[in-house]
Amino acid sequence: MNRKALLITAASLLASPALAQSVFLNDATLVAPNGQESQVDIAIEDGTIVALASEVTPDAAASVIENAWVSPGLVASYSTLGLVDIGAESSTNDTSANTDLASASIKASDSFNPRMVHIGNARRRGIMYAAVVPSPAGDTIFGGTGLTASLDGSDGSVLNDIAMVHIALGEAGARRAGGSRGAAMAQLRGALDDARRGFQTQDEGDVLRRRDARALRPVLSGAVPLMISASRASDLSRIIDLKTDYPNLDIIVVGAEEAHLVADDLAEAGIKIIIDPHENLPDTFDSVNASLDNVVAVNAAGVDYAISSLSSLGVVKAGALVQNAGNAVGNGLARDAAFRAITSTPAEWFGIEMDDVSQGDRATLIVWDGDPLEVMSAPIAMYQDGNEISLNSRMTALRDRYNPSVESDRPYKYR
Amino acid sequence: MKLLKSTALLSAAILAACTAATEDSSESSEFVLPVAFPSTYEPLPSETVLIKNASIIDGTGEASDANSILMLDGKISQIGVDLEAEADQVIDAGGRFVTPGIIDIHSHLGNYPTPSINAHSDGNEVTSPITSEVDAEHGVWPQDPGFDEALQGGVTTLHILPGSANLFGGRGVTLRNVPARTVMGMKFPDAPETLKMACGENPKRVYGDRGGPDSRMGNVAGYRKNWIKGAEYKKKIEDGDEPTRDLQLETLAGVLNGDILIQMHCYRADEMAVILDLAKEFNYKVTTFHHAVEAYKIGDLLAENDTCAAMWADWYGFKMESYDGILENIPFVHASGACAMIHSDDDKGIQRLNQEVAKAWANGNRAGLNISKDEAWTWLSTNPAKALGILDETGTLEVGKRADVVLWNADPFSTFARPDQVYLDGALMFDREAGLKPVSDFRLGSEIAP
Repeated sequence: MNRKALLITAASLLASPALAQSVFLNDATLVAPNGQESQVDIAIEDGTIVALASEVTPDAAASVIENAWVSPGLVASYSTLGLVDIGAESSTNDTSANTDLASASIKASDSFNPRMVHIGNARRRGIMYAAVVPSPAGDTIFGGTGLTASLDGSDGSVLNDIAMVHIALGEAGARRAGGSRGAAMAQLRGALDDARRGFQTQDEGDVLRRRDARALRPVLSGAVPLMISASRASDLSRIIDLKTDYPNLDIIVVGAEEAHLVADDLAEAGIKIIIDPHENLPDTFDSVNASLDNVVAVNAAGVDYAISSLSSLGVVKAGALVQNAGNAVGNGLARDAAFRAITSTPAEWFGIEMDDVSQGDRATLIVWDGDPLEVMSAPIAMYQDGNEISLNSRMTALRDRYNPSVESDRPYKYR
Repeated sequence: MKLLKSTALLSAAILAACTAATEDSSESSEFVLPVAFPSTYEPLPSETVLIKNASIIDGTGEASDANSILMLDGKISQIGVDLEAEADQVIDAGGRFVTPGIIDIHSHLGNYPTPSINAHSDGNEVTSPITSEVDAEHGVWPQDPGFDEALQGGVTTLHILPGSANLFGGRGVTLRNVPARTVMGMKFPDAPETLKMACGENPKRVYGDRGGPDSRMGNVAGYRKNWIKGAEYKKKIEDGDEPTRDLQLETLAGVLNGDILIQMHCYRADEMAVILDLAKEFNYKVTTFHHAVEAYKIGDLLAENDTCAAMWADWYGFKMESYDGILENIPFVHASGACAMIHSDDDKGIQRLNQEVAKAWANGNRAGLNISKDEAWTWLSTNPAKALGILDETGTLEVGKRADVVLWNADPFSTFARPDQVYLDGALMFDREAGLKPVSDFRLGSEIAP
């Protein structure tokens, strides 16, 4: 338990406008990509870190912020950001497609909209990068090819348009494949074998068409991760078997609620997992052994894991990520491990550059008004490669229009 | 409006009404809401417990000087500074926080239990847009493992509602969060009946191709047609007629009579305003709007109508009517003078409602408000108790109330805080250190069973 967490006062939560050109962070707590925390002063001028040391003398013109926290950009390792405006309106929802014409080759990057309001709304809460993952529909276990993006909202924000191929196993995969886990696994093995072979015509694959088999080829070689949604321990064991048969696969399991039952095997097989530390209920018979201890157990076993927000994904998007990580700490995980699981670990998996903050660098960091793992804290500034990224969004525009602490006689639509 | 009526009194009243009707059917009589499936809740045995040296948030909204609290015979018997008393247990809290038990006014634990399989879908009677005859308590599975986890998050009372598919979804039920074999064993004794209603997208989506409603116009017409029927039914009884008992209309008459509290699913500000007018047309009261994602746009209107809003901290965007969600909804509604509260509607969220309030509180103050933690706590227990008509019994730490008490290991506004102990009616139900916690039948035989 970090005592500092308890010292947050209302005063430290006061709204801060966009930062000035020259900013001095006095007595800041710097969280490194490896999760280690240190006390430093940081001077930032025009987006460049001009000084970083335990004691720095501030420039007279700098605006000084006391006791801030500085962290790397957070990474949402599983999200639908940019694919869907409103979940319940299919016309706005590109997360999945029910078609016989394409599976693994469906590219989420063709659907991705960097201007979607949820991107700004998630960025405001500290999410700087996201893996954007399409989901299966119809009778295929394949959701398609997902991407990674910076959430700066710009046209060029896609970092990698072939960041992973997503499939479902477990109950969801069984349903897609016709009704059983065996059928889902047969579909997967057939697809991987199709990726290995040469095609004379586009229809000769056992499972995939030529275009989809080609899309799967970099997965077979391990150049592109295979992301698998699965929860039950027995499914995780079959995935470990799969890795034995196709040793180059770079597997990331999403969900993994029962990972604590096979944690040593997962670690030994080098299988990565994305878990939500809030998952502690038997949502389905796939997660009868869901437990708050999952994250602590996989950490102890040395599993390579990231923390994500899965349980409430559909309704709050990726925004509440720090709460998921903070609760892992509340349930016994070390703070540095929790930080790594929402920053450097998924960044490394997806090839997102994340360096230590050093003097002379163009700043890529988030300034927080308190411990980022505390639900009471929030970002007050975000820099990416020296550019200050706005923390305003449609949410803040609505907030400002209807803020009861602001006196105005104007009708709301004129505010 | 009298919110609490004892079962005994009601039964007597029913008998009286029947007798009167039998003797002379032309004489006017009162509509009396029949009572069935009475609570069999009995508090578990409790000891006399004195907690000393605590930081107390008492739920009144004001900062409390008290640092000790005495639980005697299941009630809060004293709360004050440096209390000394004879007690079976004296706990030195060492500065740890003590709060009222958390109350979730919107839960589907038991009627959408885990595991979420088809056989467990008991929360929506999706056979007609008007199902005011059904009662959530008849769909609650007391073995839902979610109850046990919610208790470990400090939830001592919760209100289980039918879903929002229907215009009139059915009765809700207020439960003590105690392990019991039957739902009657969980029922909050004498808590007012409630009726779930729903605005907006859900009813028109569900019934659009099944005879309607197919639009918000149809929704409102559906409410009005049925309030007319409910008023007629009530009048017949008051006129001394003896209509065949109609469960559907009985619920509506109970609302019009002030016995049943309206808990209404409604997202959009303009739609809530229409509903407030609808309530005026038929002379009833909307106690609480649930979800109320746009409540911040009409805080003044809610305050004027004395209608509460039960909200999330940050859920938004899953439907068009939730697109305008903001992180400051609860504090903005509170600052407008209206009765605001948190709710979960979720088996995970119910486990950490204190964090949801902490998020909302911090965001409100960041936006320029100046709300204390003591005030913000009212969103967790006090206002939900008020909106369920049980504030006389629980929701705050005040002498004479049920000893529903949580001892936290840290400031409950922190992500890292966890309940160390949870008391219901003075009985220790959860003790982290001692490993005392309820375990659902469903969890037995699993690898995580104790």
